[in-house]
Amino acid sequence: MDKIIEVAGLKKAYGSVQAVRGLDFYVERGKLFAFLGPNGAGKSTTIDILCTLLKPDAGVVTVDGHRLGAEDSAIRASIGVVFQDHLLDPLLTVEENIRVRGGLYPASRGSLNEAVARAASTADVKDFLKRPYGKLSGGQKRRADIARALINTPKVLFLDEPTTGLDPQTRKSVWESIQALQRETGLTVFLTTHYMEEAAEADYVVVIDNGNIAARGTPSALKEEYASDLLRLVPADEAALLAVLDAAKVAYARVANQVVIKIPTTLQALPLLDAVKPYLSGFEVSNGTMDDAFIGITGKEIRE
Amino acid sequence: MIALVNRNLKVYFRDKASVFFSLLAVIIIFLVYLLFLGDVWAQNLPQVEGVRPMMDSWIMAGLLAVTSMTTVMGAFGTMVDDRSHKLMKDFSASPVSRAAIVAGYELASFLVGLLMSLLAFALAEVYIVMRGGALLAPAGMLAMVGLIVLSSLCNTAMISFVISFFSSQNAFGTASSILGTLVGFLTGIYLPIGMLPAAVQVVIKIFPLSHAALLMRQVMMAGPMEKVFAGAPPAMTQGFMDEMGVVFQLNGQNMSTPLSLLILIGSTALFYALATLRFSYKSR
Repeated sequence: MDKIIEVAGLKKAYGSVQAVRGLDFYVERGKLFAFLGPNGAGKSTTIDILCTLLKPDAGVVTVDGHRLGAEDSAIRASIGVVFQDHLLDPLLTVEENIRVRGGLYPASRGSLNEAVARAASTADVKDFLKRPYGKLSGGQKRRADIARALINTPKVLFLDEPTTGLDPQTRKSVWESIQALQRETGLTVFLTTHYMEEAAEADYVVVIDNGNIAARGTPSALKEEYASDLLRLVPADEAALLAVLDAAKVAYARVANQVVIKIPTTLQALPLLDAVKPYLSGFEVSNGTMDDAFIGITGKEIRE
Repeated sequence: MIALVNRNLKVYFRDKASVFFSLLAVIIIFLVYLLFLGDVWAQNLPQVEGVRPMMDSWIMAGLLAVTSMTTVMGAFGTMVDDRSHKLMKDFSASPVSRAAIVAGYELASFLVGLLMSLLAFALAEVYIVMRGGALLAPAGMLAMVGLIVLSSLCNTAMISFVISFFSSQNAFGTASSILGTLVGFLTGIYLPIGMLPAAVQVVIKIFPLSHAALLMRQVMMAGPMEKVFAGAPPAMTQGFMDEMGVVFQLNGQNMSTPLSLLILIGSTALFYALATLRFSYKSR
């Protein structure tokens, strides 16, 4: 297994506030890696440390073989970062912005022109290349941010909540470009998000809460482990239904007019249904989602 | 670093409003002089031919000293903006050193100060000639260009130090408008040094930028003064020069040109060192 990022024992405190309390994880080369957690869980702190912007209090980090703290410049040259805030110059055009930031990396002028063209076409910003960054819509800005992050053809692309604050449609299209980018170029993508549906499409997910890793695994493994399938019954004769369930010692919860039962797999709904069939007016069987897994892991709903 | 200088220049000149506001103090001084200060001073002087061009040269010299300060300050505004908008994060995540980032702002600000002052100098000469004065001799022009370079350097160093204390745009905006006003007094433009109390005179003589104004006055006024004070008693000439800040007195003696140059260069070095210290401390 080829690990492009390795983190061991990472700690960071702001005064008495422990933002990150000892993280250990690794990211495989060429994968889409999602860092999932509620606001204030330590996601941005971790990303800032990996991008050499913050010094960790403790821990060992290597990015693409370069040791953090000793070879920061080499790390900076091999990563691209899309920050949560829009950090390009509003009065300059997208092209000027990309070109100026491209000048921060060691490269000749000729290859800079090429790099600008390549980044622009990869991030799909060609249509508004000549427009001032400040006049763009949220989605266009985000694409321009991504183009800027790609200017040095990085080995790892970090994205700190890339889709936060975008309208649903734009969010979807930006998200699809990120996925396409990762698929087509084989780039390693490290992103933080608090959207379940995005994490569900990653190759690997680390759930972080209160500065600790709460769970990790592929989305399906997480769902398997932390989310249970649900059987919802709509009773016709509630008393009789509950009597049957109590007799069979089945744990249930009552939500509005429904009786909700957790089941290990959807198939196990069948015998239960057979037993209670006469007292039902309807039912629903659903698979566990990442939302359920997240709530299962952190014991709370995601905080927006 | 060249990419950063390039970017900082673009960002400054693209924002027309900020360019205008960085010239505001200069425009105000000019208008005040044009509307009434010029008349007041001309009336106080004996009605000899050439008084008006001489006073025009006087005000223009002072104006040029101020121009380089306010434009350098305006250009440094980019740095404060970048800091408050966290834009610095993006530079910091690129393979450029912190020192190069700071140097990028400093060099860009110096270039802005230099360019704008040279432009202002050209306009000043046009103005003087239009009002019936004589064009500065080539040697004088060369000396002026040298002084403009020097005063831009000195201002860059001083403002760089001042700016290291500011990270909010509001605070910096307020500070820069106060400084812009104050500098007109500190260089003895709104009121000639002779009209001010002794304590203030000491402050003016210590303030490095007033030495730039002083030297520029000497260069620009040499010709016109020769004409006006031809045949006048030396005491009268000396009195005028003391009053208007064409020479500074130190222990009853005229301060020499090398001393003024030394003050300019010395304060540039001092403030540059202090600023560098501040920034390297901050990045830790």
